[in-house]
Amino acid sequence: MKFGRFVLRRLIGIFFVLLGVTLATFTLAHVIPADPIAAALGPNAREAQIEQMRREYGLDRPLPEQYLRYLSHLVRGDLGRSIRTRRPVADDLRDFFPATLELSLAALAIALLLGVPAGVLAAVRKDSLIDHATRLFALLGGSLPIFWLGLVLIGIFYSKLRLMPGPGRIDQFVEPPLRLTGLYVIDSLASGNWAALRSSLAHLVLPAITLGWYSTAVIARMTRATMLEEMGKDYLRTARAKGLAERSVVVGHALRNAWIPTITVIGLAFGSLLSGAVLTETVFGWPGLGRYATAAAVSLDFPAVMGVTLLAATVYPLVNLAVDLIYHYLDPRVRLG
Amino acid sequence: MRRSQLYLLALGLLIALIVSSCAPAAPAAPAPAEGGAAPAAAQPAAAAPAEAATTLVYATDTSDLISLDPAVVYEFTGVLIAENIYDTLVKFEGDNLSELKPSLAEHWEIAADGDMWKITFHLDPDARFASGNPVTAADVVYSFSRVLDLNKSPAFLLADIPQLKKENMTAVDERTVELKIPNTASPQALLSILTFSVGGIVEKAVVEQHVEGDDLGSTWLRDHSAGSAPYVLERWEPEQQVVLTANPNYWGPAPKLSQIIIRHIAESSNQQFALESGDIDVARNLTPEQVEALSNNPDITIYRANTLLLIYVGMNVKQEPLDKPQVREAIRWAIDYKAIVDNLLRGGAKVHQTIIPEGLFGAVDNNPFQKDVEKAKALLAEAGVPDGFSIEMLIPTGPAPGGTDWSNIAAAIQSDLAAVGIQVTIKQTTQAELLNIYRAQSGQLVLILWGPDFPDPDGNVGPFTDYSQRVIAFRNNWDNPELAARARAAALEADPTKRSALYAELIETVLHEGPYAVLYQPGVVFGLRKNVQGLLWNPMGTIEFANVSK
Repeated sequence: MKFGRFVLRRLIGIFFVLLGVTLATFTLAHVIPADPIAAALGPNAREAQIEQMRREYGLDRPLPEQYLRYLSHLVRGDLGRSIRTRRPVADDLRDFFPATLELSLAALAIALLLGVPAGVLAAVRKDSLIDHATRLFALLGGSLPIFWLGLVLIGIFYSKLRLMPGPGRIDQFVEPPLRLTGLYVIDSLASGNWAALRSSLAHLVLPAITLGWYSTAVIARMTRATMLEEMGKDYLRTARAKGLAERSVVVGHALRNAWIPTITVIGLAFGSLLSGAVLTETVFGWPGLGRYATAAAVSLDFPAVMGVTLLAATVYPLVNLAVDLIYHYLDPRVRLG
Repeated sequence: MRRSQLYLLALGLLIALIVSSCAPAAPAAPAPAEGGAAPAAAQPAAAAPAEAATTLVYATDTSDLISLDPAVVYEFTGVLIAENIYDTLVKFEGDNLSELKPSLAEHWEIAADGDMWKITFHLDPDARFASGNPVTAADVVYSFSRVLDLNKSPAFLLADIPQLKKENMTAVDERTVELKIPNTASPQALLSILTFSVGGIVEKAVVEQHVEGDDLGSTWLRDHSAGSAPYVLERWEPEQQVVLTANPNYWGPAPKLSQIIIRHIAESSNQQFALESGDIDVARNLTPEQVEALSNNPDITIYRANTLLLIYVGMNVKQEPLDKPQVREAIRWAIDYKAIVDNLLRGGAKVHQTIIPEGLFGAVDNNPFQKDVEKAKALLAEAGVPDGFSIEMLIPTGPAPGGTDWSNIAAAIQSDLAAVGIQVTIKQTTQAELLNIYRAQSGQLVLILWGPDFPDPDGNVGPFTDYSQRVIAFRNNWDNPELAARARAAALEADPTKRSALYAELIETVLHEGPYAVLYQPGVVFGLRKNVQGLLWNPMGTIEFANVSK
């Protein structure tokens, strides 16, 4: 079937992308002159310790051999051991990625649920107060640095008003839910742990707003623009002429066609959410992949850097693939291939 | 159309969830004046106060945590926690590092035995593990053997410094342990090392149940405990928090608080917010500005304590003209130490110019250098470089201990040295890269820090004077065998009066001949909720949480 072949072809493409990514990251990680072992062991480390750890991590071998060993472990699902945390990288990713995924999904949900209606309203009531307010909101979203926005939100809603909980994923006195997916909201729902659900939802609000604001702005602007374009087209006049309610005209006809470019933006937004998570996680003490990646990069922990890069390089094309499939579903004229 | 209704429904749901999740936070948040019993936001109001009243929440940056196995930990957070879940044979109490106190060992003797020292420990008959089983000599020998066999970061503290070997550890009977070390090693150094987390005693029977392959149980001990100390490890949520609970079978006086939460909050502004709101009881990483702001808050106490760190500039004596002692002395006279401490660190450090920090045996108040441009210029002229010279200074990125960035300290030194004609080019790299260059003896001037590995003057004097240890003297190419021999003699001297006299002479020699300009000794600052009592910072980086109450 055409559909299956398309997906298969893309997956094969992803495989080659990943192979390229491993080579590029590996090379980059090793042209840096500094020594990750020295970074991990600190100023007091004796030469013998450094030598021993270098042997443990196989860093005393020639580079090509190191790369081949890495690949041969990789195909067995072994991402190596982090130099900083001394744990298997796969375990670290399993611990930290769900936190980032949960945050990004929450931010995306906010961006979609606020951005699309705001864009539609702004287009329908062009040049009205709503339109201007949306524009201002979008302008702010595009120009406020995440770091600053996060600090301000914490300062107001946590420190001053005490309406929202502080940094972290869950309250310090609430035990995290039993791990199923690693997404606290899902896991606490699944295990019926209402205290954990409440606490983790409350902890999601500020970081998700911080992270999602920019995407909300982009989606709102994009929706407004494509809606305006559609609204001027003939088929809408026809729809109105045959007596459809304005609401059906806007939502059922115009929005339906305005969706396609918006989906593209959402796909891109998801990527930027994952990278924006680095800053958001730092500000909100969110134990996610962004912070893990930063710490790994700073300490030259290349097995961890490779692991994060590989994960990101897998997620990105998969999101793109999903976007393409959604296109096809929304507009069968968009051909797969 | 249905799709629009779905939208409204989803939007409504999201808003409802958000509102419901933060609703209980508002009524549950008391005014800050009510003190540390503030329940955290989004917490069922009934459960929080009782729990909070018997829990200490200690916020710090725990990103250095890699394991809680006492044979593996060598990181600040790991050591702090390990020392509260594992007892050692002997210990230092509170912030006193000069008097050894009994812990698992009731008493101990040091005796000469041929060309060895024999140190005999007699275990306290009451000592019990958290499991309820007695602490035996076999557990002690097993614990130290694990350290040597695993050979992780702290292993050199047993294997290299006192040269402890497995064949020299004997369980004489159920409650007597004999350790033998060569008579060229210092029994005092061994005893100070045994106060540290690497000397933590694990329960052999428990650990052996959890051995996987050749890991000697370290995978399990990474996030479980098998000790005899006042607290046991409840759980470790990576990058979030470590929870300790009171050991129900503790053999000494019961700890005052039933739970200790070591919470990971890396951002200092978040620590400040959380301390002000009462969500945490102790903030470990506050900036000088935040300390100033918090010192006016009636709910908060500022607690200042000591560290054993020294911040210094190393001078590579193989790099001309640093090979000339007068040039090194000129650099020491050119620096405005007081300005660095007063203007940049603002109370976060004190001027300290010798290689033994305050708080260790043998430390003296000997800080002769202050900014003297004329003297420095005269010394340069004497060395044959009256017009000065150009040189590179390596510095790490990020904050230096004491409360300012490395780059600010470097800039101050740069302008001080410029005043006497020395043009410094600052080269800032990550600490890892800096250490690479420094270790390869390829630095010129290097601005960096040192903290002793064990609380004995030999933990500093050895590395700073003995080239053959391949640490600091080595990195600065300073090979002075005569001085190194004197340092070894001082380390072995058993008579405290003679020992401190030997160290005073050594310090004086290094002060003027050595390749170092020691700048300052940083302190640590804690923000505490007013009701926190009994928190004492040991300069080796630990706190006995069992003595803390609120």
